[in-house]
Amino acid sequence: MSDELDRIRREMHAVLQQPGVRPDDSLQITRRTFIHRSLLFGAASVGQTFAWWPLLNTIDVAHAAEAPFKFAWISDTHLYEKSLNTRFVDKVVRAVQEVQAMDPPADFLIFGGDLAQLGKIEELELGVDLLKDLTIKKYYIPGEHDWYLDMGKKWGELFGQPNWTFDHKGVRFIGLDTVSRGPDYWTVKKMTPEERMGHMATLDGTVAGAWAGVGRDQLDWMQKILADWDKSKPIVIFSHNPLYEYYPPWNFWVRDWREVNEVLKPYTKVTNIHGHVHQVLYNEIGSMRSIGMLATSWPWPYAPEGVPKLTKPMIRADPGDHFDGVGWETVNVNAEDKVDVEYIMWGRKEVFVQSDPDSSLSQPEKLRPRMADNMWPY
Amino acid sequence: MTIRATFLGTLCRPSFVVAIAAVAIFVGPTSAHKAPHTPEQLKQYEDVLMEEVRKGDLLFHGDAATAKQMGVVLSTTGMACAMCHPMASDTHPQSYPKFQVETSKFATLRDMINWCIEKPNQGEKIEIDSEAMKALEAYIAWSNSGSVLVPGKH
Repeated sequence: MSDELDRIRREMHAVLQQPGVRPDDSLQITRRTFIHRSLLFGAASVGQTFAWWPLLNTIDVAHAAEAPFKFAWISDTHLYEKSLNTRFVDKVVRAVQEVQAMDPPADFLIFGGDLAQLGKIEELELGVDLLKDLTIKKYYIPGEHDWYLDMGKKWGELFGQPNWTFDHKGVRFIGLDTVSRGPDYWTVKKMTPEERMGHMATLDGTVAGAWAGVGRDQLDWMQKILADWDKSKPIVIFSHNPLYEYYPPWNFWVRDWREVNEVLKPYTKVTNIHGHVHQVLYNEIGSMRSIGMLATSWPWPYAPEGVPKLTKPMIRADPGDHFDGVGWETVNVNAEDKVDVEYIMWGRKEVFVQSDPDSSLSQPEKLRPRMADNMWPY
Repeated sequence: MTIRATFLGTLCRPSFVVAIAAVAIFVGPTSAHKAPHTPEQLKQYEDVLMEEVRKGDLLFHGDAATAKQMGVVLSTTGMACAMCHPMASDTHPQSYPKFQVETSKFATLRDMINWCIEKPNQGEKIEIDSEAMKALEAYIAWSNSGSVLVPGKH
């Protein structure tokens, strides 16, 4: 671990993981597994393959919802133009069909960012076209791949304001933009928009730097919209990046997590649901719990360090099956005032590792940042 | 005896003699290797490695110009190696050679590189001892510097 990372990790521990500070006592995690109704889609092949047996794992979070409801999450579709890559399209189509078929239907869909791969108009419009078959209300937050070709122009035209809030059946929902406030790495180097996007679209790139952040202005906005909210009532915050520090070299964090914690500290039932990491993640930070969601496009391996201790790792995906290690989620608020986050991972009977060989973490690795993107002609 | 005869026979081939002579000219006098390494020599060795690493890094991250220059098509889907393996993570070069589940064969890292090119990336596999393969191997190994060798580990 680098000295800097070690320092940050110690600081986060000191600030957030103080003795006795945890999410509300009633928020006990239970994980249970069962076969999902989307099994019905593959009824003909159920007997032959586990591929049609999405396994759900649930995290129960007690809160005070007024009525039971459920919503769905899809993110990180990373669409290229259809002529280049049809696999990513197929997976969005499948997720959309499955969400549309939910019974009872989801109250709304959250799209958690990275609709496009290179921020192109064609890619974003393809995403809109694929998602239009979903007739429920849709809310979008941006990912960095959507943003840095035209600095959010097309995304804004399609989806409007990148941060938003609404109340639904006793829960305050907040969508954050954690991508648009990156440092300017392009002006001095006279990059074209495509070059700027290229660096941003490379997860392990070293040029775009610590781009993930909430920003003072948005923190003030969040503080304002929470001012009238009862401290013990539930809040669900959607963000592309996790609202804590997991692995900065891949922007598996927001750089201003300290300030985020300051704003959220008074509230006892905060759940953060985020994309970007393309993997199952679970963490508790102070009084907030944080849940990482699957991509539909491809799974990222866990970072070589910093995986939260509370995370039960997902299975190592089979690279030969592009439906493996990916999927979508439902979030079910039931009659007992609980929220179940359900991972619907295609191609798997078991989402979570059962033993070491099933985990990408079973092989300790030491990794270096890449070097060529900081050299001529870059 | 048979072995010796074959060896002598090989030595007598004109092409082999020329090759040996060429190596001798490039390497220098026969006693050169007995001299302590100079900082300049070590720098040269390092430069050779890092140039391979640089090329491998670019190929691994889908740099179209480098791929074209080296005459390879590593992907036709827009996917690059680094999209599933940021910082060459989860490539585990330290675990090779090993039984490779994907191919049901005992495999080297180079075999697996080619499998990834052909299957997930839907590209064209490359010659096992090609410049592009060496560069990819150099980048993957360099990225994982310090990892402990555990051949065969799944």
